[in-house]
Amino acid sequence: MLSLRFAIPTANTLTPPKIKPKPGLVVQTAWNQTDLFPSLPKRNDNKLQAATTDLSVAGDIPAEEVVELPAELSRELMPKHVAVIMDGNGRWARQRGLATSAGHEAGVKALRELVELCCQWGIQVLTVFAFSYENWIRPKVEVDFLMSLFERALKSEVESFSRGGIRISVIGDSTKLPTSLQKLINEVEETTKHNSRLQLIVAVSYSGKYDVVQACRSIAEKAKDGQIQLDDINESLIEQELETNCTEHPYPDLLIRTSGELRVSNFLLWQLAYTELFFAQELWPDFRKDEFVDALSSYQQRQRRYGGRH
Amino acid sequence: MWHLLHVTIHLCYFAINIANALESHLISKGLLRRYKSLHISKLQYLAIVIESEDCRTSNVIELLQWLADLGVKHVCLYDMEGILKKSKDFILEKFDGATLFQENDVLLDQPLMTLEFASFSDGKEAVAKAANVLFMKYLKSGSTSSYQGEQIFTESQMGEALKTVGGNGPEPDLLLVYGPARCHLGFPAWRIRYTEIQHMGPLKSMKYGSLIKAIYKFTMVQQNYGK
Repeated sequence: MLSLRFAIPTANTLTPPKIKPKPGLVVQTAWNQTDLFPSLPKRNDNKLQAATTDLSVAGDIPAEEVVELPAELSRELMPKHVAVIMDGNGRWARQRGLATSAGHEAGVKALRELVELCCQWGIQVLTVFAFSYENWIRPKVEVDFLMSLFERALKSEVESFSRGGIRISVIGDSTKLPTSLQKLINEVEETTKHNSRLQLIVAVSYSGKYDVVQACRSIAEKAKDGQIQLDDINESLIEQELETNCTEHPYPDLLIRTSGELRVSNFLLWQLAYTELFFAQELWPDFRKDEFVDALSSYQQRQRRYGGRH
Repeated sequence: MWHLLHVTIHLCYFAINIANALESHLISKGLLRRYKSLHISKLQYLAIVIESEDCRTSNVIELLQWLADLGVKHVCLYDMEGILKKSKDFILEKFDGATLFQENDVLLDQPLMTLEFASFSDGKEAVAKAANVLFMKYLKSGSTSSYQGEQIFTESQMGEALKTVGGNGPEPDLLLVYGPARCHLGFPAWRIRYTEIQHMGPLKSMKYGSLIKAIYKFTMVQQNYGK
C-alpha cells in the first residue's frame, strides 16, 4: 500500500511548504569502525548454521567529519526519539535460502548502520525492540543463538560506543536472560552512562504491559516505605517508574516497524500515545539509509503541518 | 532547483491521490474482484480513532452505516477529548442500527451493532485508577513483601482491576485512524497489544472503498504472536 511509504496526501500538500528544507550540516564525532563480531563457529544444527560474513571495515572515520543531511530532511524537524520494531530477520533469511541466524546477523548490520545515521543526523534517542517477552516461546536453539548474538555484539561494540559517545541502556525483564549477559549489560551500561551523543535503548525480553505492571509495583513499594502517599498516585507517577525513565525523552516521536506488519506488538504501549507510526514494507535487514530517510521525511511532512499539536 | 523538487513531489502526491480515489471508487462499485467477499467474521472488534477536531457526527453516522452494511458487529468510537462520548445519545438516536456496548457484553453475533464510546480518560487515567485498586489490595493484604507484590501486580490482576474501574473493554482486532496524523491519540494502550493499526486520512475525506480495502487487508493478515 503506497500510504505505507508516503505521507497521506491531503489538500495542504498541494501548496508548497512554507519552510524550505535545507540540508543540515552535522559534525560527526570520532567513530572507529571495528569488526561487529568475529566469524561464528560451525554448529551441528543445520537450521541455525552461522554464515561467515566478513564484517570488518577498514579505517577510522576522522573525528570532525562534516556530514550533510539528505536534501529531503530538515535538521530542525528531526525527531528527538525514534523507536524501531526490527521485524523480518527470519523471513529475510528464508527468502534467500539462508539459515535464520544469517537473518539475525544481517539485522545487526542494519542496526549498526541505523545507529550511525542517528548519530550523524542529531537524533538523541534510539529505542530498538530486539527481543520481546513473547519471543521466549521460539525454538530454544534460536533463542540461545540470539542471546549469544546479543552478548557478542555488546562485547565487540562497547569500545566503539564509548568512543562514539553512545550511551547504552537495556530495558526489559532481565531475570530471564543468561547470567553472563545480565552481567555484561550492567558493565556496558556503567561504562557508557556518561556518554551523551546518542542514547541507544535496547528492549530485550520487554513487554509493554509488563512495563506498566512493574511501574505500579515499584510505586507500591515506595508507598509501603512511606516515600509517597497513596493520594499522589496518578498517571504522571506511573510514567516516572516506567523502564523508559532511563532517558530524558521517554516518548518516541516516531515509531518505525519493518516488514509490513501494522501493529505495535506489546512494545512501549504506554509511551506511544502521540507517536507517529510508520509501517515500512521492507524486512529489517533491508531497511537502510534510503528507507530511513523515507520514514523521517514522512514524519517531518506531518510536523510541518501539525507541529503545534504537542 | 528547490521549486522544481517541490513541484515534482507535489505532482507525485497528486498522482497518488488520483490513483487512490480511482481504486476506492472501483472497490466501492464492486468492480475489483478480490474485494467482493470479505471474511468479516474475522473482525470481531473494530476501533475507530477520530481526531477530536474532525468529529462531525454526520460523517460518523455515515461511517457507522457503512460498517453496518459490511456486517461489522462491534465498534468502539474513540476521540481524545470525548466529543463522541458527549454526542453518544445523538449518534444512537440518529443511527438506528446500534445499541450501547455494556462492559460485560460478550462478543456474540447479534442483529444490532454494539457501540462503545471511549476517550483519553479511559486510557492512562483508567490504568492509574486500576493501579490504585491494586495498591489497596497490596496494603490490605498485611504482608508487604516483594513476593506479595509480585503476586498482586501482574498483568491479569491489572486486567481485572481495569474491569472494576470500567476501563477494560475488548482488545480491538483492527484500529482505523481517521485524522491527519498517523497516531492513535492515546487509545487505551492496555487494549492494543496486537491490534492492527491502519491510517485512513481525515474523516471528511473518508471513502467507502478505502474502508473495504482496509478491512480486506486486515482479514489477510496472519499473526505469529512472537513465534
